[in-house]
Amino acid sequence: MAKITFQDAVTKTVEVPDGTNMIEAAKLAGVEIPHFCYHPRFTVVGQCRMCLVEIDGMPKIQAACTTPIKDGMVVKTSSPKTKDAQKSTMEFLLINHPLDCPICDQAGECKLQDNSFGYGFQQSRYDERKKQYAGYSRTKIGPRVIADMTRCILCTRCIRFTQEISKTGELTFLDRAGSTLVWTHEGRELDNDWSACAADVCPVGALTVEEFRFRQRVWYLKKTPSVCPGCDIGCNNSIESRGETVYRYMPRLNPDVNDYWLCDHGRFLSESLNERAYTRPIARVSGDDTFPGWEPVLDRTVAALRETTGANVLALGSAHLSNEENWLLRKLFGDTLGVPNLDVVADGDRVRTMPSKHGWIESSGVAAANLRGARDAGLAPRAGGKGLEDVYSGAWTPEIVYVADGAFSRDADHPDRVAALRRATLLIVHARTENLLTREADIVLPCASLAQKDGTFTNRFGRVQRFERAMLPKPPVKADWEILLALALKLGFGDPGWNPLSIFPLLAADVPGYAGFDEAQLEGGLTMKKGLFVSEGGL
Amino acid sequence: MAYERTLLARIDKENSRSIDGYVRDGGYQAWEKILREKPEPASIAETVKKAGLRGRGGAGFPTGVKWTFIPKDTKGKPIYLVLNADESEPGTFKDRLLIERDPHLVLEGMAIAAYAIGCKRAYIYIRGEFWDGARILNDAIREANEKGYLGENLKGSGVALEIVVHRGAGAYICGEETALLESLEGKRGQPRVKPPFPAVSGAFACPTIVNNVETIACVPLIMNRGAEWFASIGRNEKNTGPKLYCLSGHVNRPGVYEAPMGLPLKELIFGDAFGRGMRDGRKVKAVIPGGASAAMLTPAEIEDCPLDFDGVAAKGSMLGSAAIVVMNEDTCMVRAARNLAKFFAHESCGQCTPCREGCPWLLTVLTRIEAGAGRPEDIALLSAVAKQMNNGMTLCVFADAAVAPVLSTTGKWPDEYAYHVEHRRCLVGARQEAFA
Repeated sequence: MAKITFQDAVTKTVEVPDGTNMIEAAKLAGVEIPHFCYHPRFTVVGQCRMCLVEIDGMPKIQAACTTPIKDGMVVKTSSPKTKDAQKSTMEFLLINHPLDCPICDQAGECKLQDNSFGYGFQQSRYDERKKQYAGYSRTKIGPRVIADMTRCILCTRCIRFTQEISKTGELTFLDRAGSTLVWTHEGRELDNDWSACAADVCPVGALTVEEFRFRQRVWYLKKTPSVCPGCDIGCNNSIESRGETVYRYMPRLNPDVNDYWLCDHGRFLSESLNERAYTRPIARVSGDDTFPGWEPVLDRTVAALRETTGANVLALGSAHLSNEENWLLRKLFGDTLGVPNLDVVADGDRVRTMPSKHGWIESSGVAAANLRGARDAGLAPRAGGKGLEDVYSGAWTPEIVYVADGAFSRDADHPDRVAALRRATLLIVHARTENLLTREADIVLPCASLAQKDGTFTNRFGRVQRFERAMLPKPPVKADWEILLALALKLGFGDPGWNPLSIFPLLAADVPGYAGFDEAQLEGGLTMKKGLFVSEGGL
Repeated sequence: MAYERTLLARIDKENSRSIDGYVRDGGYQAWEKILREKPEPASIAETVKKAGLRGRGGAGFPTGVKWTFIPKDTKGKPIYLVLNADESEPGTFKDRLLIERDPHLVLEGMAIAAYAIGCKRAYIYIRGEFWDGARILNDAIREANEKGYLGENLKGSGVALEIVVHRGAGAYICGEETALLESLEGKRGQPRVKPPFPAVSGAFACPTIVNNVETIACVPLIMNRGAEWFASIGRNEKNTGPKLYCLSGHVNRPGVYEAPMGLPLKELIFGDAFGRGMRDGRKVKAVIPGGASAAMLTPAEIEDCPLDFDGVAAKGSMLGSAAIVVMNEDTCMVRAARNLAKFFAHESCGQCTPCREGCPWLLTVLTRIEAGAGRPEDIALLSAVAKQMNNGMTLCVFADAAVAPVLSTTGKWPDEYAYHVEHRRCLVGARQEAFA
């Protein structure tokens, strides 16, 4: 352990393990040392020279990121010498920078902007021609990322990302001295499973993600902690939205899962959250849509369920639904109505990989986030019960099919399989997007997107992680759990005060293995705010 | 008393580069003795320490001390010796002479140094432009392998040493030892973060010692003639041994000269055995004492400047690679500074912000002043920008080198800058016209 003192506006001393980077030690002390090239997961290169600090007993100014800490060290983070050095670096960084922040897409999340305001000065003594990069500005260097070398400050974070994290090594320095630039190796593209992370680590607007470019000013975006729906690794991400539109997913730090990263596949699922085909409950009468509102539709469902016995009902959960929703489904159909025919399926996918802090982790090869959670909740045929395969094979035709997620699988667009489900007398589907199954359904219950509800997912390793609601669904659309709870209340189960947060302890008491999860684990070790759980407008 | 040349003793002899000639002149005796007696490796480092040998590449770090920085326990990693034959400092051409005329002296020095540090595979990193040098070294290595001075189980001693020549690709910065190691590993040549120092983690992340060619060439001399002999040469006990000086510029007889460490600078320029004075009898205006990176000296400063590490440092400059460039009174100092600034702006590796951005900025302003378009505030701007680049502002000392000519010329010849800005022409040119 080493005691290290930072003389900032206030003097603070922290004790940190030997080998801690000085920038991290300063963070612990609550002192900010400005930097660009330093990143906690990359090799320290000490080349941006922004983190220069004066250290007692050292005659020369030192880069904080490369100076090994020693017990008793006194670091002057805001002495005149330190401030002059930081101003010098800022001046050098800006002499060839375009300074056209108003038309730069990085503005608002730009470290150059931040550090310029915090540590630079307003005037420049440079009135020469700025460098131009013919052929290297606003050019796609891969399927996702656009590079603009006029904005690059050559911190090499992106290069080190491709060398050390994705281990694909597409990027490199070209040329040298004042002509140095970052580009792909000749004949290569920045094309790997995590390529957009290279733009994430870019502190300036040199690398930007094509999908998000110029769609929204970042200071308008609301960040909501969420979990990626792409596979069962369960990467932590943030939904960045404005109003009712989701603009992007960004990675959210969780060293045990996705660390600072997000794969391109998961990242670009964000746009699918904006899709919506169904805005009202639909009851189809002889092929014609009617829109009677929630009460009549739910009453018809309840009446149908009461008229038959549990053995004639198939209740289909989903690997896309939250634990709370799948649990409600099981409690309602399995336990309350005595339906033995419960099931869940998920589409196959290639095995996806993520570089966590502890090494590579892999998905189990399904294209859904919560297959394990759905199975944990008890969604499998009970003794004597039938499953989805029995329906597909024609061995069994249920009277009522209740599909809690109309997009549960690619099966919902498979003509034969949809036809098999359609043989039921009553086909009830929760739906947001349209597919063959939802077009065939007798009752369509409009449900919220992942961005419009709260809940938890269980990843393939059993890690239960909470996602939060970024926005309310537009009434009369309801979250799946609200629909299930409304049905349950009509069938004599549940409590009108329930919401995902209050359901979880009930679930934890009921589902083996979930009892031990406390709040901290649920939140992936991160602080999350408590959200409001009930849709506006009520039931 | 005539000085007896030792480092350059053989360069004019016939067949100086063949192994037969070298052995005939007593070469490889020190190496054979080591192979025969197998002394404690630490004792060799001790001898070199006692001789007071300081690195001839520029920094002047005690060589024997450097060797002892290799960790006692390398955790199974091999130890490498790398010979820095990049010789990229402008004005320097001494290592080239040794390599081309007496390659076996260099190889014997490497063999002894390798033994001292426990190295079994050594590299020679030679400047890409030294095509002849690389060929000569490869020939010499082949000869030494054939004669059993290099290879496996040398002379039955169980000692092994392989030497590999690696040619650089032409970057000045690859003379800096960590950039050299990066380049040796096949990467882009740019300096590394220190610590860890090469002695702990150098080539291929293994303990590595990097020595200059001239430094290594001193080692067989020390082993043959003794540390006392070596230490007896020179101005004082901190600056010992024979030294090669590269003299160039407006002198009558430029060239590489061997002399004891601490040779007076005036003697080198004017002495009969050395430069024999200024060409056409012109006066000295400025002297670069240690390659392009060293601050320039004025005629007053060279009056009593001994050419050794501490002597030149006392004048606020450095001996560096001992490349002495002499400029006469007709030289425009703005132009000289711009010439050097152009070199540094071209050679910066580009990784650190102050150097990458500052070097071209200095060049732009110097170019403008020299072209007669300078502004009064430009002179202050030059030194202000230069002072934002040195003393720890960057990862390596390249930027310190790059600003040395700018700071020394603006500081010592301010009138020339002022004249350029005010009259939009050169002070020196104006004088010449007045004479005509």
